[in-house]
Amino acid sequence: MSDVKIEGQVLGGYPRSRIVRRALRQYESGSYSLLDRERVLHSSALTVIGVQVGQGFPYVVDGMLDWHDIFRPYAEAWRNVTPTGLLRYFDNNFFYRIPLFTGEPEPTDPVLAPRVRSYAPIAEPSKLKVVIPGPVTFTLMSSNRTGVSDEELAEAIARLLAEEVSLAVEAGAGFVQIDEPILSDPKASKDHAALAAELSSMIASRAGGAKTMLSIYFYSPKPEVYEGVLETKVDYIMLDLVDAGGAALRLLERKGCPGHGVGLGVVNARNVYSDEYEAVKGLVEAAMKACQPEEVLLTTSTWLDLIPYKYSLRKTRLLGYYTHRIAGEMGALLALAGGE
Amino acid sequence: MPGYEVPRKFPTTVVGSYPKIGPADKAIKMRRSGEIGEEEFHRIARESIRMVVEDYLWAGVDILSDGEQTREDMVVYFAERMDGYREGDWVRVFDNVYFRKPVVVGRIGWRQPMILEDWEYARSVAQGRPVKLILTGPYTMLEWSFDLHYGDRRELILDLARALRREIDAALARGAEYVQVDEPALSTRPFREEAELLKEALDIVFRGVGAKRIVHICYGELERILPYILEYPVDQFDLEMKNSGFRLLPHLKEYGYDKEIGYGVIDVHSFQVESVEEVKEAIDRLMKADIVGPEKVYIDPDCGLKRLPREIAREKLRNMVEAARLAREEW
Ligand SMILES: [Zn+2]
Repeated sequence: MSDVKIEGQVLGGYPRSRIVRRALRQYESGSYSLLDRERVLHSSALTVIGVQVGQGFPYVVDGMLDWHDIFRPYAEAWRNVTPTGLLRYFDNNFFYRIPLFTGEPEPTDPVLAPRVRSYAPIAEPSKLKVVIPGPVTFTLMSSNRTGVSDEELAEAIARLLAEEVSLAVEAGAGFVQIDEPILSDPKASKDHAALAAELSSMIASRAGGAKTMLSIYFYSPKPEVYEGVLETKVDYIMLDLVDAGGAALRLLERKGCPGHGVGLGVVNARNVYSDEYEAVKGLVEAAMKACQPEEVLLTTSTWLDLIPYKYSLRKTRLLGYYTHRIAGEMGALLALAGGE
Repeated sequence: MPGYEVPRKFPTTVVGSYPKIGPADKAIKMRRSGEIGEEEFHRIARESIRMVVEDYLWAGVDILSDGEQTREDMVVYFAERMDGYREGDWVRVFDNVYFRKPVVVGRIGWRQPMILEDWEYARSVAQGRPVKLILTGPYTMLEWSFDLHYGDRRELILDLARALRREIDAALARGAEYVQVDEPALSTRPFREEAELLKEALDIVFRGVGAKRIVHICYGELERILPYILEYPVDQFDLEMKNSGFRLLPHLKEYGYDKEIGYGVIDVHSFQVESVEEVKEAIDRLMKADIVGPEKVYIDPDCGLKRLPREIAREKLRNMVEAARLAREEW
């Protein structure tokens, strides 16, 4: 095991603290200026970045505190798409706004690159990770009134996201995470998996020297979907090992993760328990035994934004602590920001 | 109170929630800020409940609800009134709108009636029409709370079921004829183990209950768990059908469905008012599928109407009632 490299990484956005919620409210009601709002958002992003940097995570997120949902920044920034009514977001008691596409989406100002420019220098020695909605998830969770097929719309979305990624990496992002939770949906098919694999490969090809990951969470994908995803040319594939109730582990046992590093969602981002160390370690050991990866990312099971703020910080610390401990006990190489 | 005769075929009903009208919203805020107590809260909300019932009567609905005017959130309302819960920290519902997701910190227990006062008030102004007793089901309470006490989902859901049963027993003693448990969370996790977990809980909620026993389930992929839920100890499944294009019908047929069906014919997400013909066609479709007879079919919207503007909710209900009347002539 000694040549295995292990690192910790938070999967996605953070919940808003009280001050952020208030700032957004005040701004909407007109009693805060844009500058006031930005100041609060910025200082709060620094906090969540700092918490992750403090754990030694090589790649950290800015928390995406201003995004109302994963699609929103694009639904607001691109032409020919608007956020509309609310719909439940998977099995969460959280609702996103359905993006309505009325024509081929066209880019305006980039969403990610400016964030990277403002946060990357602060995150040192960690590097900033950007997270994008996967084009298949984006398409299937939108309303498509473009007149073109879902597949064509997904391709158009992927092209714009690839451009986003390219600019973000130029601006200093070191890691690109592509979220395709829809692939864990029982309705997802082999065709969806093939399309997701193709489009995430295309996006990853624009990521320059940055690491890339395709993440699938909430459930475990069906075996044939997972098999299709294995074709993708990204560095890591991430699975949710806690919410899938053992199914994801069985997938790894049966199919391995050939050609990829593996992301293991082992700290439950949807409950407020302090995950037990032995349980987490057991999952990691079982998964590593199943697929013999060279590189392992230990992650939260999904974004941390579905639990209260204080628990998101606690889960971050647990992830960091457990990653250190597991790497030590397994005699694996621990990847830390800034090296040893 | 004069007895009201519910039509033998295609009685019309509602799932439960209605847009907040009258002083309900303000009363919820005042209670939350501590300005008024529980008693005053329900007293103020009566005006809203009366307005809701008037809308139902105007539309001609047969089996009514109190419109859930005092419930800001279907889980929080009950959590705040049971033992074992504490107010949670803030969690996002959508946009920048947050709610305090309740946390289980002790043994769940029933304290005193939670919804009976509103329900009884609705009955008092319903001109003899029956009013459903509507509770958030144990599975949804389980899924949409955090747990810091049990660490075991089964133990928690069974205690939730016991607490809800106490409420139902209290209502039965006051003459409840229709008892509905809402389980929107079930279809978000359409797995056999989950369906079976709920079955165990529903055995507690409904065993020996002499009133009409209904479970409302909406959205998601019900066909995946249909074979398991058919074993539930209930008389009626109330199902969202319109929004999913009546996709479930062939599956109901396939599994030999023979319970009553609450047949959702109104899309509660759309501001477009369904025409009488459209609703009638939906009913015809069910009849032609030859699954159950018209005396086992209750016509209602897909889900609660709370997200619709009041005017649209009213119009939708009126067309629904008219379509059911036409269907009675034909089937
Ligand atoms: Zn519903």
